[in-house]
Amino acid sequence: MEQFFELITQINPFDLIQVIFWGLAGAVSFYFSIGNARVWTSISIGFFLIFLSQAYAINPWVHYYKLSAFHSIIGTVAIMVITHGFLEYYVFCRTFEISGNKLTVYVTTLLLLICSGVFLVINPTPSPNTIRNVKIIENAIWVFLSVMNLELIRKIYVAIKDSAIAKGFIAFGIVFVCIFLWRGSDLYLQIYQWDKDWQDIIALMADESTDIDQFIDRVEFSRTVSRYAGLLSGLSVGSTFIYIYRLLR
Amino acid sequence: MFLLPKGNPLFENLAATKLKLPEVMTKLSSGGFTGYASFVFQSSTTILVFESGKLVSALLEEQNGNRQAGFEALASLAELMVTSSSGALNVYKMSKDLTMCIHALLQGEILYKAQELKLIDIKALLEKIKTDQMNGCLRIYTTERSAMIFYKDGNPLGFFHDGSHDIETSSTESQKIAGMPGAKIDLFSTQGVEELMSMDLLEVANVQNIWDTAVSRQHSEIEKLSRERSEREKKSAALKLADLEEQIKQIVTESAGKVGRGIVDKELSDQGGNTCLLDEAATAKLLAGIERAAKLLISATSIKQMMEKLTQAIAAAKSGF
Repeated sequence: MEQFFELITQINPFDLIQVIFWGLAGAVSFYFSIGNARVWTSISIGFFLIFLSQAYAINPWVHYYKLSAFHSIIGTVAIMVITHGFLEYYVFCRTFEISGNKLTVYVTTLLLLICSGVFLVINPTPSPNTIRNVKIIENAIWVFLSVMNLELIRKIYVAIKDSAIAKGFIAFGIVFVCIFLWRGSDLYLQIYQWDKDWQDIIALMADESTDIDQFIDRVEFSRTVSRYAGLLSGLSVGSTFIYIYRLLR
Repeated sequence: MFLLPKGNPLFENLAATKLKLPEVMTKLSSGGFTGYASFVFQSSTTILVFESGKLVSALLEEQNGNRQAGFEALASLAELMVTSSSGALNVYKMSKDLTMCIHALLQGEILYKAQELKLIDIKALLEKIKTDQMNGCLRIYTTERSAMIFYKDGNPLGFFHDGSHDIETSSTESQKIAGMPGAKIDLFSTQGVEELMSMDLLEVANVQNIWDTAVSRQHSEIEKLSRERSEREKKSAALKLADLEEQIKQIVTESAGKVGRGIVDKELSDQGGNTCLLDEAATAKLLAGIERAAKLLISATSIKQMMEKLTQAIAAAKSGF
């Protein structure tokens, strides 16, 4: 416990606020998944998983590399589950077909996470470079699927624009714009090796250099975008679920 | 219509629609019946004249005066017996001679038709009937009254006039009518009894076949009518169901937006079309499906209101089915 409070005092307040926001968003979305129709389960479970993936900032055991990699894998599973949920909603809008059950979604998600955990356990401890690679993959998937979700949300909105829930999808659109900026700016920094992880890695390597000083403005801009967009993402997800909850009450 | 002497009534006012023509014919024929049977329906009357069990003439006269004879008359009679809702059969036994005269009246050779009495020499005509030893019937009538004189071998058998039931021996009434202004005569002659006996319509016409044809035609007519009624009912029910379907779509669209139509279409299709609205269990499944889909689109309050409206609309429509 002492270790945890020590970690809290060391966390950047901005990151702490972001985790708190994601915590609230996760709680709201998880609660939402319990009381609502099956199609919402994937979406809300996915957003809840984002909180788990972001919780590395307050995880006292995050210095274990395998656990750190697991946070990134949870993040990847999160966006995949969310996308599956929106895809199902889109299919519903086109065919009015509702299939499956909530338990399947919970169990499948849990199995995915267990399999990922097993994968990490049976493989060698990832190096900082491997963890960074996993994060790049995670961000790339987030960026790609955010764009795809924006398109799905647009199509869903067009199909149901005169329904009560339609405005909720505008809110989801705002959520994914924030997520796209958040993950996109992170990915941008990683691709050009201007991210903090890479700077930490090359600090220990004598034969590697960085051009970060030449592009410090855009690096700072990207970091600012990532920080605020990340914060807004958590805030907007929590608000969106509360808004939809009110719309469906 | 026919106005004939009644002779000796064997049956009167039997329900003709409950009888079978072949059975009636067999009974009259096998019993060696002599006389006539009259089938009286609202639209027409048919007279069948029998001589010693042989059907010597069949004549049908409609209200408008149209006549059919022989096979045609039998076919029409069978059809009337099968299709009419009411009708009466009267059977009158008569002497062979009088039956012959009835046959003459109905289907005999017409020597005079609507001949004005004042233009002919009635005495000469009566003399000619006698000298020619004519068999037949002389009908004397005005617009209001009529009388008949039946002859055998030129000698009067008897007199019959409207208002009487049987043959009379007095010629007073006939003479009275003959003396009236505008009186006319018809003169019908026929062959003798022996010649008549040589013809039997029952040998020519297969009454059983005629009857069977009439019955099967009636059956097919009833089936056709029943089919048409059933189709009309189906069409009417289909229209009512289509109206109800449209009402349901409107209610769901008002609550859930334009996707409401799609939701109703899909749920109806899952339940096998709008006929599911006639079945309680299927209707319940349909409503559950609509409610489940609506949960993804609208609030619980709106769903409750929508479901109430749907239940009311379906109940109101069902009361009209």
